[in-house]
Amino acid sequence: MAQNFTNLTSDCQYWLQKLSALDQASTLETQKDTCLHLPQFQEFLRQMYEALKEMDSNTAMERFPTIGQLLAKTCSNPFVLAYDESQKFLIQCLCCLINKEPQNSGDSKLNSWIRGLLSHILSAFRFNIKEFDLFTQGLGYEPVDYCPALLKNMVLSLVSKLRESHLNGFNTRRRMAPERVASLSQVCIPLVTLPDFEPLVEALLIYHGHEPQEVLCPAFFKAVNEAFLLKKISLPTSAVVSLWLRHLPSLEKAVLHLFTKLISSERNCLRRIECFIKDSLLPQAACHPAIFRVVDEMFRFALMETDGALEVLAAVQVFTRCFVEALEKENKQLKFALKTYFPHISPSLTAVLLQHPRDTPQGCHHQLLQHVSLMLRKAVEDQACGSCRDPFESWFLFIHFGGWADLAAEHLLRSAVEAPAAAEAPVAALLWLLAFYYRPLDSHQQRAQTMVEMEAVLSRLRFLTLSRSSPISAEELRAAAGEDSHEDPMQPVCGRLIRHLLLNFLLWVPAGHAAAHDTITLMACTDEISHEITGFLDQTLYRWDHLCTEAPRPAKLARELLQELRARV
Amino acid sequence: MDALLQQLERFSEVLSVSRTNHVSTWGPETVRRALQWARYLRQVYRRFGSHGRIRAALERRLRIHWGPEGPKSGLTSFRALGRGDVLLSLNLLQNRALGDAAGRALLQQLFPGAGTGDADAEALQTRLVRLARRRAALLLPGLLEDPVLLTQAQLLLGRLQEAGDPSGWLGRLWTRAPRVHFLQVMAVALLQPLEELGPSEEIHVLVRWLLEQSEVLAAFCRLPAGLLTSIAERHPALSRAYLVLLTDWGQKLHYDLQEGAWVSADSQDVPWEELLRRFQSLSQAPPPLKDEVLTLLESCKARDGNFEVAGLSVWTDLLLDL
Repeated sequence: MAQNFTNLTSDCQYWLQKLSALDQASTLETQKDTCLHLPQFQEFLRQMYEALKEMDSNTAMERFPTIGQLLAKTCSNPFVLAYDESQKFLIQCLCCLINKEPQNSGDSKLNSWIRGLLSHILSAFRFNIKEFDLFTQGLGYEPVDYCPALLKNMVLSLVSKLRESHLNGFNTRRRMAPERVASLSQVCIPLVTLPDFEPLVEALLIYHGHEPQEVLCPAFFKAVNEAFLLKKISLPTSAVVSLWLRHLPSLEKAVLHLFTKLISSERNCLRRIECFIKDSLLPQAACHPAIFRVVDEMFRFALMETDGALEVLAAVQVFTRCFVEALEKENKQLKFALKTYFPHISPSLTAVLLQHPRDTPQGCHHQLLQHVSLMLRKAVEDQACGSCRDPFESWFLFIHFGGWADLAAEHLLRSAVEAPAAAEAPVAALLWLLAFYYRPLDSHQQRAQTMVEMEAVLSRLRFLTLSRSSPISAEELRAAAGEDSHEDPMQPVCGRLIRHLLLNFLLWVPAGHAAAHDTITLMACTDEISHEITGFLDQTLYRWDHLCTEAPRPAKLARELLQELRARV
Repeated sequence: MDALLQQLERFSEVLSVSRTNHVSTWGPETVRRALQWARYLRQVYRRFGSHGRIRAALERRLRIHWGPEGPKSGLTSFRALGRGDVLLSLNLLQNRALGDAAGRALLQQLFPGAGTGDADAEALQTRLVRLARRRAALLLPGLLEDPVLLTQAQLLLGRLQEAGDPSGWLGRLWTRAPRVHFLQVMAVALLQPLEELGPSEEIHVLVRWLLEQSEVLAAFCRLPAGLLTSIAERHPALSRAYLVLLTDWGQKLHYDLQEGAWVSADSQDVPWEELLRRFQSLSQAPPPLKDEVLTLLESCKARDGNFEVAGLSVWTDLLLDL
């Protein structure tokens, strides 16, 4: 605590000098400097209040001999007073300095001096217009009566001026000079979170001058973005889009803010992730390709930095789902070509992946999956024989629409076990799709080997269901999946692929239901695998919900298993 | 109801007293009670704000406090009930006569800090903090421009709505207020949109009052030409009165042969240039105003003898210059 006080004492000194310097020259430069320091100074005032409220007035004055001088200076700085919650902390600090039991005339003088400062903050209005004051007094109004109305008219007048400049860009007489707009954005920084100013903030964000360079000052964008992310203001989507298009650091900050929220939220709960993503307004804003590309690029980095962490994959998929939904809502007809969103990929492949399986009857899903597989394979293998981009790009696009891989696994498993459908299923295409999804960078031969292994697992699983009288045991299932015998620690991804198949077996094949609980207990031997299985179940239920899949028994089982696993973590 | 009216009366007195030296006799308890009272009346305001009959009765009673020159320092309108607590707080805070102990009690009431559990007290604190922030916003450089007049025009219309005898009150205001400023505010008020829910009745009161006061009207019609044209477009009755005045002013001019120009005999009279500017502005207005103005000029010209040569009739020359 003593250490803290020492810091605060030197901070007092620092701010006293800073404020004095700023007072002396009131130019655009000093305004800029003041605005730059507002958040820091507010934090200082907050800490000061926390310290002062624990001590009496005399102790406070002894510990911080310059505090009175500093607070008095603050009372005459409208930038500080207008900023966020600074005026609140200032008032509270002043109240802490009041001597509760004044012993002498000095104490009483101090008290009345503080009362004077408070009265000054709250009621001294000086517009330098004598007529204004005289007339308002004549009408019998107090400042408190007209202050909100005056602010409102001031904001509306500036808004309409900005709009006129915006509309009549070539009519120079009515146009607001760019310097004026720039200084307006500067002055608005402390006021961004004052509700009266919301229309002006919005008008500034939407304002586009006719100058080639940006006229609004970067600190204004930064302040608006921060206030928006902290939910201190609400803005219409168009204004937010304009903000992010005009100020890239703000967009990056918004994406990082979303990432932080996703990381700190409960793992494996896509519903909540969806809420966070929608709430961020990023999917809606991403309808503008320039914004989409930045967000997507950041997802790509996150994916590479985490070596393709499942959580990141899931987040990309949910984001894409919300983005496609926003795109459909905004415009039935695409305003921008698909190529502008995914420039490295052929638009026909993007169009195929963008299709929603729900729009096709369930019976035709086979054909759709086959089509997706063929298109992707063509893109990947053409590239392999010497064309431009590496398969990673195709894979990165594919994982946006990871639902296709899940659907492929489901179909593969069901067609392998439910014999009648087998004839229809394009098994090779489905196998390829899964092998590519889990191991995108494999060579042709490696992928063929993976496909063979998958097929072997599938046929062993089918064999288990044939002509049995006794129920299947968990051990048998694990043996069939090859999980117990040749577990290859070098290939965790392949293990993930096999587990994906096995879990689908448990959910979809009636013979697997009975053994599901035991099998999962056996499978979830490490925390990592346990998380993976939880993620799979959560994602499956989420996908079924969106696809309106009619599967009451598997869904019930999945929910039970999910509950069990969550209780265990 | 009677009890409530009495309370109202008492609080109004308290509010008036809070600005005087009399508060030197107040102790901490008095301050607390006065604030409690203000809070109670704020609740009354919120409860009966939409209750027409009770509200009207309260307003009638409050109007008793209007002196001959308009509202005095106590409670002046029903709306003021909603911020009686803030008004009282500011009065006391500014009043140097308030003793130290009472002053400390006041600050404790106004700024109890966070987490006191007293929702009312915290709400008042929040409103005061918001006031400080808004006031600071108004002090920031480069923000405040013409909205000052608009705000005052709205305040003026607000008072007209509350006044029992609006014409009498306007007359007394005219004798006290800075005149040019008053006229400007009035002009802005007259240009407020005539909406169903807006202050249309008050705007009509203003127009009627202006028409009855020839001295004020004459001064009003000397405001800038463009402003008067906009007002004439909006209010036909004022437009007619304005044209009558313009005709009078024109007739006072005579032609100075040596100068070769129309001059006024008295320095108070409207000079030719200004008259021309006013007619020019009017003739650029959309019909029917534009047509009326031209018809008027034509008929004046005819009455003077329908000359087509310059220097004989002021109307001929005005028409030529248009």
